Amino acid sequence: MLYREAGQFKTSYAADMAIFPIRQDRIGLAILLAFAFVVVPLLAYFEIGPFGHDYIFKAILIPFLILSLAAIGLNILTGYCGQISLGGGAFMAIGAYAAYNFSLRIPELPLLFSILLSGGMAAFVGILFGIPSLRIKGLYLAVATLAAQFFFDWLFLRVPWFTNYTPSGSVNAPELNFFGWVVNTPAERYMLALMFVTVFAVIAKNLTRGNIGRQWMAIRDMDIAAELMGIRPLYAKLSAFAISSFFIGVAGALWAFVHLGSWEPLTFNIERSFQLLFMVIIGGLGSILGCFLGAAFILILPIFLDQVPHAMGVPLSVETVSHLVYIITGALICFLLIVEPHGFARLWAIAKEKLRLWPFPY
Amino acid sequence: MTAVAMTLDRPAAVPKAEEREILLSVENVSLSFGGVKAIRDVSFDIRKGEIRAIIGPNGAGKTSMLNVINGFYHPQEGTITFKGQRRHRMAPYIAASQGIARTFQNVALFKGMSTLDNIMTGRTLKMRTGILGQAVYWGWSQKEEIRHREVVERIIDFLEIEHIRKTPVGKLPYGLQKRVELGRALAMEPELLLLDEPMAGMNLEEKQDMCRFILDVNDQLGTTIALIEHDMGVVMDLSDRVVVLDHGVKIADGTPDEVQRNQNVIDAYLGVTR
Amino acid sequence: MEGLGPFLEVLIGGLLAGVLYSLVALGFVLIYKASGVFNFAQGAMVLLAGLALVRSLDFLVAKGLPFEVAVVGALLFAGAIMAITAWLIERYVLGPLLNQSEMTLFMSTIGATFIIEGAAQMLFGSDVYPLQLYPTDAWIILDEVFPGGILISKLDVWGAVIAGVLVAGLAAFFQWTRTGRALRAVADDHAAAQSVGIPINWIWFVVWLIAGLVAVVAATVWGTKLGVQFSITFLALKALPVLIIGGFTSIPGAIVGGLVIGAGEKLAEIYLGPYIGGGIEYWFAYVLALAVLLVRPQGLFGERIIERI
Repeated sequence: MLYREAGQFKTSYAADMAIFPIRQDRIGLAILLAFAFVVVPLLAYFEIGPFGHDYIFKAILIPFLILSLAAIGLNILTGYCGQISLGGGAFMAIGAYAAYNFSLRIPELPLLFSILLSGGMAAFVGILFGIPSLRIKGLYLAVATLAAQFFFDWLFLRVPWFTNYTPSGSVNAPELNFFGWVVNTPAERYMLALMFVTVFAVIAKNLTRGNIGRQWMAIRDMDIAAELMGIRPLYAKLSAFAISSFFIGVAGALWAFVHLGSWEPLTFNIERSFQLLFMVIIGGLGSILGCFLGAAFILILPIFLDQVPHAMGVPLSVETVSHLVYIITGALICFLLIVEPHGFARLWAIAKEKLRLWPFPY
Repeated sequence: MTAVAMTLDRPAAVPKAEEREILLSVENVSLSFGGVKAIRDVSFDIRKGEIRAIIGPNGAGKTSMLNVINGFYHPQEGTITFKGQRRHRMAPYIAASQGIARTFQNVALFKGMSTLDNIMTGRTLKMRTGILGQAVYWGWSQKEEIRHREVVERIIDFLEIEHIRKTPVGKLPYGLQKRVELGRALAMEPELLLLDEPMAGMNLEEKQDMCRFILDVNDQLGTTIALIEHDMGVVMDLSDRVVVLDHGVKIADGTPDEVQRNQNVIDAYLGVTR
Repeated sequence: MEGLGPFLEVLIGGLLAGVLYSLVALGFVLIYKASGVFNFAQGAMVLLAGLALVRSLDFLVAKGLPFEVAVVGALLFAGAIMAITAWLIERYVLGPLLNQSEMTLFMSTIGATFIIEGAAQMLFGSDVYPLQLYPTDAWIILDEVFPGGILISKLDVWGAVIAGVLVAGLAAFFQWTRTGRALRAVADDHAAAQSVGIPINWIWFVVWLIAGLVAVVAATVWGTKLGVQFSITFLALKALPVLIIGGFTSIPGAIVGGLVIGAGEKLAEIYLGPYIGGGIEYWFAYVLALAVLLVRPQGLFGERIIERI
C-alpha cells in the first residue's frame, strides 16, 4: 500500500517526463541524497559507527562512486548506442595520464579544469576510435576496441614522456586543491567523488532521455531505419563515443587522483575493461540506475567472499576468492542473459511493480 | 473489400490527379544487385496531394523502388526529381530532411523503445537544441521537448494508440506496431509518405482503421502518399492513380479503373477480372 | 646478404609462431562455422585443457607409470574434461539462448570464459606448470650460406605439422561428411535447421566437444612452449586478429591469418620496434586487424554484408 501511485495524476507533460515521476521515488531519492551528502560526512566527522573508519570510504564508497561513473560512460556507448567496447580501461588511462600531465606541466591550471580537460582528451581519442564504427559493426568493433586497449597499455608504459620519465613507471597524483579546498581525508575524497558523480549522473540522465538519447537507441535498435528517418549515424555514433569517453576519462582521472593517489598503467588494463563491461551487463544495459547497481555488485562481491567465510570460521585464501569471483561473475552474466537480459535494473523495476500491488498478488 | 470504401466519406470536389503539379518523378531508373536487375528503365510520377498505389506480383521491384526514392538504394541509371530538384541518387538524409517519410514491409520500429519514444524519434530533424542544452535540460531543452511531445500526442490521439504509449513496442501485436510505425512517419510531417504494405497481416477491422487513417492523412494534412499494397480492394478504393510493376518493368500506369481493365495487368497479376 | 640471414630467421620464427595462434583460431572457426556462435571462451578452453592435461600427467607419472602411458592417460583425462565442459555449456549456457541474437550469445560466451577460467584454476591450481611433450631444442640449418645459420625451433615445426593435419582433417570433415553439412546448416539459421529435423542441441554438443579436443591439441603445443599458466588466455586473445584476417568461417583461413599475424608481429618488433620503444608485439596484431577492417569491414575473407530492409 505504501507504493501506490493512486492520486498521482500528471497534469503536464513536464511532470510526466520527469526523471522520477512517482512521488515515492522522489522521496526515496531525497532521503538517499540527504544521507549521502549530509549524514555520512557528519557521521565521519564524529567518528560514529563504520563511518568513523577509513575503510568504508577507501575500500567501498569511493571506488563505488568512481567506477559507477565509468560504468555510466560505458553504458552510454554500449547500452544506449549499442557499440560494444572492450577498451574502457584504456580510456580511463587516457583520462588519468592526461590529467597528470596537465596538472604537471601547466601548474597554473586549476585542478578542476585539468580533470575536465583530460575528459576532453579522452573524448577526442574516443572520436578517433569511433570513426571506424561507422563501417565496422558488432564483433569486429569489439576487436577494434581491443586495439585501443593494448595500444594505450603500451603507450603509457613505454613512452616515458607520459610518466615524466620516472624510472619506476608509477606516478603520483598532485595535491588535490580545488579553489582553496584541500582534499585530504578519505571522507573529503568521498565528498569530492560524490559531487562529481552526482552532477555527471544527472547530465547522463538528461542526455539519455532527450533527443540524442533517442538517436543513440535508434542506432542501436535498427541503424538503417534510423538513417532513413534523418538520424545521421555519423553524428549519433561519434557523439556516443565522445560523451562516453569523456565520462570514462574523467572517471579515470578521479580513480588516479582521488582513489589511488599513485598508480601504474597496469591499473587500467584489460581486466579493468572487462570489469566495466560486466558492471554494465549485470546492472542493466541502457539504464543509468543499472550502472550503480552493477558497480556495487562487482565491487562488493570480492569483499563479501573475503569477509563472510572468514566470519563464519572458514576463511578462504586470496586466490580462492579471486577464482570464485570469476566463477560467480561469469555465472551471473550467463544467468542474467537467459533470465533477465536487462539486468538488475529491470529486476529492481519489477520489484517496484510488485510493490505497487502489495499486498495484493495482482 | 468495397465494404471498406462504403464506410468512408470521400469529398467529391477533388481536382483530377493529372491536373496537379508533380511532386516526385523517377525517370528511366534502373537498379541491379550483382547480376540481378531489380528495376529496368522505370519512369512514373507522383502528383501533389494524390494517393499513388504501386502494385505488382512479388519480386516486381516495388520495395526496391521505394528504397530508391528514399535514397537507401542507388540506381545505376536514371534520375529522381523531387520538388523540382533533379538528382542521380537520393541520400537518406536529404530525403528525410526534404520531407519524405516511410514505413517498412517488415516493421522497422526501434524495439528497445516505447511507442512514445519511437514516435518522438520522428521529430529528430525538427529538434534544434544541441547536446549541451540537452545535458542541462531545464530551460530551453525542456520547453522544446514539451512542444514536440504535444505534437506527438496529437498523432497518438489521431491513431488511437493512447493506451499503449508507454509500452515497449517489441511487446505490441503486429497490427499496433504497424500503426505506431505510421505514427513515427507522420511525426516527420512529411510531404511525401511512402507506405510499404501498411495493411499486411491485418484483419478486416484493422484494415478499415488503417484505411481511415491513410485517407484522413491525405485529406486533412494534404500529404501525398505512395502506397505498396496487395489487397486490390484497398487499392481500388483508396488510390487516385496506380502504377503496375512486373519483374522490374512498368506494365501499366493510370487510374484504378484503367489499370484494372488493362490486359497486361490481368495476365501478370490480377488473374480473373472483377 | 648481411641482413638476410637474421631476417629469414625472424620470418620463419614468426610464421611458425603464427601457426600456434592458428591452433586456437581453429577452435573459434569450428564453433562459428557450425553453430554461428562466436566463442570468446576458446582461450579459456585451452587453459582448462592444458591444466587438466599437465596435472593429470604429473599425477600419473608420480604414481610410477611410464611416461608414454601417462601421456595417453593424461590426454584421455583432458579429453573427458573437455567433453564434460561441452555438455555443460550446451546444456546451461547456450542451449537456453537458442534463437537469440548473435550479440547475446557472444556475451554469454564471455561469461562462460570467466567461469571456465575461475573453475579451471580452482580445480587444478594456478601456478605455472611446465610441460614437455615435444622436443624443445632447435635445428640450425643453412649454416654454410649464412653466418651462424638459421635457427628453427623444433617445437614450432611440430606445431606447424600438427596444425596442418588438423586443418586438412577438419576441412575434409566439413566438406564431405553428412554431419559436416548439417553443421553448416545450423550455422546459417538455427530455426530453419531445427525445422528440418536437425537436432541442434546434440550438434552443439558435438561441435563444442571437437573444439575442446582442438583446444587440448593447442594446449600440448603452447604448454610445452610457455608452460601451462593463466597468461595463455591473453595470448589466445590474439586469435581474434587472426580471425579477422583469415575470416571467421574459413578453416584454411585460420592458418593464413595466423601466418600473417605471426610473421607481421615478429618482423614489426625487430624492424620497427627499436624506433618507437619496443614491445610492439603487444598491440601490433590488433592494430593490423583494425587496419584491415577499415578497408574491408567484413575481414579479408568474410562475406560482404548486404543490408536489406
